[in-house]
Parts: sequence; C-alpha cells; structure tokens
Amino acid sequence: MIDEYKGISPKSDLALLRKLGEAFKGRSFLHINSTREGGGVAEILHRMVPILLDLGIDARWEVIRGDAKFYETTKKVHNALQGNEEHFTAEMWDHHFEVNRSNAEKLDLDADVVLVHDPQPAPLVEFRKKGAWIWRCHIDVSNPLPDVWNALKRYSEHYDAAVFSVAKFARSMPVDEFIIPPSIDPVSDKNRDLTDEEINETAKKFNVPRDRPMLLQVSRFDVFKDPIGVIKAYRMVKKYNDCVLVLAGSPATDDPEGEAVLAEVREFASGDPDIIILLLPPFSDKDINALQRLATVVLQKSLKEGFGLTVSEAMWKEKPVIGGAVGGIPIQIVHGVTGFLVHSSEGAAFRIRQLLNNPDMAKRMGERGREYVRNNFLITRQVRDYLAVWYAIENRGKNVLEL
Amino acid sequence: MSFPFSADGQASRRENRKNMSKSFEFKQCVTILKSTGKKAGSLRELRDVISSISAESLIHHTYQYYLKGMIHEYTNDFAQWAGESLEERALAERLSNIDPYDFSAVEDIRKALVSAVDEHLEGFPEPRIAMPGDEFFFNETVTIVFPAGMRARNLAEFLMAVKYADGSSLYYHFFDARQRLGGFDDFSIWFDEALGKNVLAKRVRLIDPFMHSLEGIRERIAAAVDDEVRQDMEAAGVSP
Repeated sequence: MIDEYKGISPKSDLALLRKLGEAFKGRSFLHINSTREGGGVAEILHRMVPILLDLGIDARWEVIRGDAKFYETTKKVHNALQGNEEHFTAEMWDHHFEVNRSNAEKLDLDADVVLVHDPQPAPLVEFRKKGAWIWRCHIDVSNPLPDVWNALKRYSEHYDAAVFSVAKFARSMPVDEFIIPPSIDPVSDKNRDLTDEEINETAKKFNVPRDRPMLLQVSRFDVFKDPIGVIKAYRMVKKYNDCVLVLAGSPATDDPEGEAVLAEVREFASGDPDIIILLLPPFSDKDINALQRLATVVLQKSLKEGFGLTVSEAMWKEKPVIGGAVGGIPIQIVHGVTGFLVHSSEGAAFRIRQLLNNPDMAKRMGERGREYVRNNFLITRQVRDYLAVWYAIENRGKNVLEL
Repeated sequence: MSFPFSADGQASRRENRKNMSKSFEFKQCVTILKSTGKKAGSLRELRDVISSISAESLIHHTYQYYLKGMIHEYTNDFAQWAGESLEERALAERLSNIDPYDFSAVEDIRKALVSAVDEHLEGFPEPRIAMPGDEFFFNETVTIVFPAGMRARNLAEFLMAVKYADGSSLYYHFFDARQRLGGFDDFSIWFDEALGKNVLAKRVRLIDPFMHSLEGIRERIAAAVDDEVRQDMEAAGVSP
C-alpha cells in the first residue's frame, strides 16, 4: 500500500516511514475514536491503519459506543470547546465518564501506543494498561468555555502527550504538545488524477460551461463559509470579467440552519444563470475532484474554519486558492505565493480579478501550491508525524534523534 | 537541539574530520513541531517572549526557517510575522538581515532580535496588534536525522547524488551543519578536507544561504561541482 505513494509523496517522507516502520516492527499502535463512518477523522483512519499495517506495525482501530445522552453531551462539549455557550451538569460529566468506563471493559486497550481522538473517548486514559497514551485533539480549543476545558483537563493531563492540528488551536498544558496538521490522500477518489473523460462527464452532468473562467467554492451551506460573500465578490468581478460561479455543497436535510442558508443563497443568486448551485449527495468525491479541476480560481472564503482541507485539495490540483484568513487556512495558503488570504468580499473580488487577468501568475501559484501540499499536507506526512511523535516519546528529553 | 557553536563547534568539526572517510554520506532530517503554549499579539509582547523563550524555540524560528523551503519573502519567522501580520516592513527587513550564523551563542541571537525590535519601537509609531488568531505562536521542534541511503566517493558521484537528494538532505548538510560545525556547511568541508578541492569549497561557501530556495541552493552547488568535474576531465585530457 505504501508503494502507491511512490512518485507522489516526498522521498524523504517515504524513507522515514520505512525507517520508523523498521524501528516499530511488530509493535502495536491503537487508534480510538467515536465513529467508524462520517467525518474527517474516520475518513483518514480508514486509510491510515492499512498504511501502518503495511509498514509492519500492528495497527488497530477501536470505536467507543455510547447512548443518545452521551452523544448529546459530547456534541455540547465540542461546541463549548469552540467557545459556544453551553450548559453542563455534574450528572452529564459523570455519564461521560461512565460510558468510557463501560467501553474500557469491552475494548482491548493493550497496546504500545494509544492515540485517542477528540474529547469523546478522552477519559479512557484512566483505564490505561501500558504503553504511551497520546490525546489527539482535532478541535480548535484556543478559546474554550473555561469550565468545560477544566473538566476535560483532568483527563488530558494524564496523557503522555497531546497533539493539535495548528499551533494556534493549542492551549498551554503540562504535557508535551505536538503540532500535526491534518492531510489529504492523493490517491483517493477526491484527489487522484482524473482522465479528461471523467472531468468532461462531471461538467456535462452539472451543465458547467467550459467557455468562460469558473470560480468555485466547495463547502457546506453554512453562514461561516460565507456563500453570500462569495456571490458578492463574484458580482464585483463580473463587471469587467465574464465568468461562472459554482457553489457546491452537501444537502442540509438534517440541519435547519443549513436549509435556511441554502434558501438565502438561492434567493440572493436568483435570476443569474451563471451562478450554479449544486447539492452533491454523499460519496460525490469524484465529482468534487472534477469540479476542482474544472475551476480557474478556487475560493474558501470562510469567516470561521477548522482546518479547511478543501484548500489543500484545490492546491493539489494546481489551482490558485483565495481563502479567508481564519482557522487552518493561513497554514495552507502562503499569501502571494500559493494563493491569497482575504478579509472581505471586496478583498476576494480584487484577488479574483488579479488572477483572472494574470493567467501566468495563477499558473505559477497553482504549481507552487501543489508542491507546498506535497511537502506538507499529504497523508504520508501525517503518518510519519504520528510515528515520529511515538519515537520522540520513547526518547523523551532529546531534541535531536538519530534513527 | 544541542548547540555546538564556536569552540564546541570547532570541537565537533575536529571530531567530524577525524571520522571523515573519503566518501560523503548523505543524511536527511525531518522536524516535528512542538507548541510552547506561548504567543505574542503585539510587537511589545513579541519582544518580551523572545527575551524569555527557550533557546530551542529561537533556533526553530531562525535557523530552521530554511527547512520550509524558503517560500516566504523574509528570512526568519519573526521577520515574516512583522512584515505580514503587523505590516511593519521596516522591521521585517531589519530582522531579515540578522544572520544567525554570525553568532557564537544562541543568547547573542536573542539579544540581536530584542535590540532590533527595541530600536524599531523607539523610532517608529506604535504598530497595530495582530488580528485574533494571527498572533505569533512560539514553537520548538524535535529533529529526527536518518541516512538518506546515498554515499559519494568522488565528485562525479557527488554530482549525481546532490541532484537527486531530498530537500531535507540539502537542508541538513547546507544549513543545519553550520550550527554543528561552527558556521561551515558539510559539503564544502568535504570538498576541502577529504578531496583537497579548496577552490570548489570556497565557491560553495560564497553561496548566500538566505537568498535562495533549497532548489536554488541545489542548482548552485551542482553547477559549481559540474564545473570542477569538467576542469578535472580537461586537465586529465578527457573530453567532458
């Protein structure tokens, strides 16, 4: 499986992966999270565990189970860690712990290193048997509700190390805190090379015109993704530059707020045949890939963002990307080099106009963007980093390690 | 990261020479980021944290900047943040001109950085604070060094290897070596001490480490070695 990344991932990443694989051959690496399907963590674990196995590491993935009350609490914890006001009772925290206790009795927690993803299974550390335990927090906890952070801290501080996606997501803690950004998988349907036929098929299916430049934003219909701001920017651009705007997102049937945003976007766009709003069903990875390849400029004009991996996805396809300067987007876009960071619709419009009128600059940015992603945001780098953290924990106290 | 500057660096260099065989073994490295939990939202805060932050963090934000491939405009993280996030270009230029390899101890780099910020604060209006989320976050690293699986026994083999070597290998031998070996890169030391090629060594030492990407460094080293190989062949009466 690791051979699939030959010629794609940096040679040094693959070389180090093999070295670390040799160092940890036959030793056990357990991932624990709270869902097997849905969400970025599960998506990446489906790919990561086979890679670890291929490297000779005894990798496993366990999932904790909870009842509705448990998930209601953990959803609130998730929101509160991002700074949203939520109310918690002592009974809710007790239940959170009890569900983890009951999972600890059923799960095989015996491993040389255990990587626990997010707050749901965080209390499992109280039932550790052996090995190094690492808490992997995928959430931006830079401004949490203090009570909730304190409640979780009693668990997170019992780990050997914590891992955050971006330095600004981390908080000061008494354990080692490593920074490991998430990643995209270059051989998955969402990112692999497509044939011209595959790209044409998507263009035809969604009636995307090929005779003019296409602006694209792929994201949920959510106020924080600012689809209205994107349309405003497109209208400013349209004054001198004929182009098409595609807004592609998932249907929001289970999210009343999402439905309201979609209705607002539709109304705001009405009467303009050059604004194409696409509701893509789940498992539309190949179509998203094709749309990104069809685009001239890709936008991720978020007002609030987690990491925003759609930015890396587009950069991987050599597209210049204009992104809101929030969350993990500035980690991916080097302003003026691999794309542009903007703070307003006007800023987005200005940068779109620059790119549409300077195809050479757009091409150069796209090429640099792909190399930047190759070196920083591919799955092989993420696996490498997890193994390197394990190695660092086993050699604690040293800043330079010879392998 | 340990810091064999100056006297220690010379000791490392002597040790290196002792161990140096005729062949050059390419190594490469990766760094894993660690958060210190410290951040600065204004220039004054930046100054204060620089004054007290760990040596490892200063090293990361100055020396290890080049491992990123020199994709940014300025030459260290502090300069980049001053220029991009605070839009203080005069300070960014000044910080960019600090050559970390001029100093024999990391504490001297700290003093130079603080002094540059102090002088800027005295001479210019108070700069704005950074946007929330765009503060300067102080990090450290753990570096893992491992063999790249390539060894050169002569200049011709070196030329092939340097063209093929990973960017992190160039970083390790061209930048990181300066900390280990008191200001010199591994390549020029090998040219000079193992091959007796002191002219080539001087030419490589004249490559400005701060003005090129890793690919630019690779091109310049390869061009210098290529010229040397051609001259050797001509001198031996062999047509290149």
